[in-house]
Amino acid sequence: MNAGIEYLFSFRDALAQPATRVFLWIILGAFVAAPIVMLALHGRMSEATRRDAWVRYRTWLLIAPAFLAPVLFAPATAIVAIAVVSILCYREFARATGLFRERSLSAIVAAGIVLVACASLDHWYGLFAALTPLTVIVIAAAAVLPDSPTGYLQRVSLASVAFLLFGSGLGHLGYIANDPGYRAILLLILVSVQLNDIFAYVCGKSFGRRKLFPRTSPGKTLGGHLGALVLTTAFAAAMGHVVFEGTALDRWPALIALGLIISVGGQLGDLVLGSIKRDIGVKDMAATLPGHGGFLDRMNSSLLVAPAVFHFVGYALGYGLEREPRVFSSLLGF
Amino acid sequence: MDKWTYKPAADTQLQPLERLQSTRREAGLVSVGLHAVTTVGLRAYLGAYHRLRVIGRENLPQQTPFVLIANHESMLDSLVLISALPLRLRIETSPVAAGDVFFTNAVSSFLSAVFMNALPIRRRGVTTHALEDLRARLAEGRGGLVLFPEGMRSRDGRMLPFKSGLGNLVAATRVPVIPCHLDGPYRALPFGKSVPRPARITVRIGAPLSFEAQPNTREGWNEVVGACESAVRGLAAEAGRAE
Repeated sequence: MNAGIEYLFSFRDALAQPATRVFLWIILGAFVAAPIVMLALHGRMSEATRRDAWVRYRTWLLIAPAFLAPVLFAPATAIVAIAVVSILCYREFARATGLFRERSLSAIVAAGIVLVACASLDHWYGLFAALTPLTVIVIAAAAVLPDSPTGYLQRVSLASVAFLLFGSGLGHLGYIANDPGYRAILLLILVSVQLNDIFAYVCGKSFGRRKLFPRTSPGKTLGGHLGALVLTTAFAAAMGHVVFEGTALDRWPALIALGLIISVGGQLGDLVLGSIKRDIGVKDMAATLPGHGGFLDRMNSSLLVAPAVFHFVGYALGYGLEREPRVFSSLLGF
Repeated sequence: MDKWTYKPAADTQLQPLERLQSTRREAGLVSVGLHAVTTVGLRAYLGAYHRLRVIGRENLPQQTPFVLIANHESMLDSLVLISALPLRLRIETSPVAAGDVFFTNAVSSFLSAVFMNALPIRRRGVTTHALEDLRARLAEGRGGLVLFPEGMRSRDGRMLPFKSGLGNLVAATRVPVIPCHLDGPYRALPFGKSVPRPARITVRIGAPLSFEAQPNTREGWNEVVGACESAVRGLAAEAGRAE
């Protein structure tokens, strides 16, 4: 079999990297610790908070393995799993904004997301990069065809923003799977971003007072933002040292910059979705995940982090540069 | 700059199963595609196996919203009426189906909702509240409905009296009601049988009726139902069937 295809389905050394195993222990530890912490705080939480926390925890028990198993199994399954999440996020966005009624534009965004995944599977960075402007062009062009200019700008803007955030933005996570060390890099991003949310919540509850964005997200406080910034940066820098050991990124200034990108990007992504929800006038994007809302309410913090970290790491190290590019398209002869 | 207006799907805050079983459901890209493929396949089946004949095609609606009604003789009926429509309208049309037959569990709800675009109605204890969603759906111009005002399949092929729920849907609105008559489904698939016989099916489509003048009260509903029932009986007489 072709070495490129063999790579896509290589699952034998899924847990070979020490950093991957460390992350899995951290995740497992969090799942064990969470109910213990909740029981310890039993008396100090209101009935409603307690119930909400348990519902959230139960949902976590389902979605974390459902997403992590394909991501860790093999590069191909990781790319497909990320494309599926992109589609689910787009679906929620389209239904919440009403864009889903524009069926041809929706079909173009969905096709764009699928093509991004194909470019990642193919290990063809040129196509991967080209799909961002090309999909937006196709959206703008297709929207003129029905000859009804009323609402043109709104339709095209919604479809373009949707593709940029969910197709192109989240799609960067999929392209990372072209690097043989992708599992640890993806876990570094996913775990740090989710911890960032938790740190912001806990710090905000413990010593947060001043609200920075009362109209966008009234629950957020300065204390929460700063606490998350310090703790997430420290966590991501320390874990980055394990993930990127011996590479050009393994210097403290670079690792701290990586941690800051994850923390600031994560918090801004959260506020981006908060603004979208306030603008539309909904509380949650959907009711698919009990306790969380929709998939977007869970992925919001990764939206901006994915492309930012992709390029930060890519600038220093690149992805799968020692592998042959264009696994499938070269076989087709173009 | 003025604020944009957004119109979220009416079902965004429902959980997945709840959504499939809701009359507020709005179909997305995947279900529209699967529904379209299904109806194309059914149209070919009805044409080939039952030699489907459509009389009065010019009376079919050109746009949504609309309500197609007919006598109810078999499980094939709503498939026949949907097949008579052009594909453009077919994908916008929902048969109103018995909740206690087509939406009993997650699997049947999924199949009915995704492949047939069906909307459930509970037959026991139908309240005006249950019809409000459907009425709102028509008022917003979202799609057409196929429904059988008899409320159940005929056990012997003869038409039953119409129920008043139809009146509640369309009284005092501009939504056209298109009366239709089905001849043949009872011979093809009578109540209690599960394998269709190759009997010929003929659908007669009558002129659209409008009930803008009828008030949305019990008297108005009775007038609507009376007019609809006699229109369908008139088509039955044309078909040479004394109902």
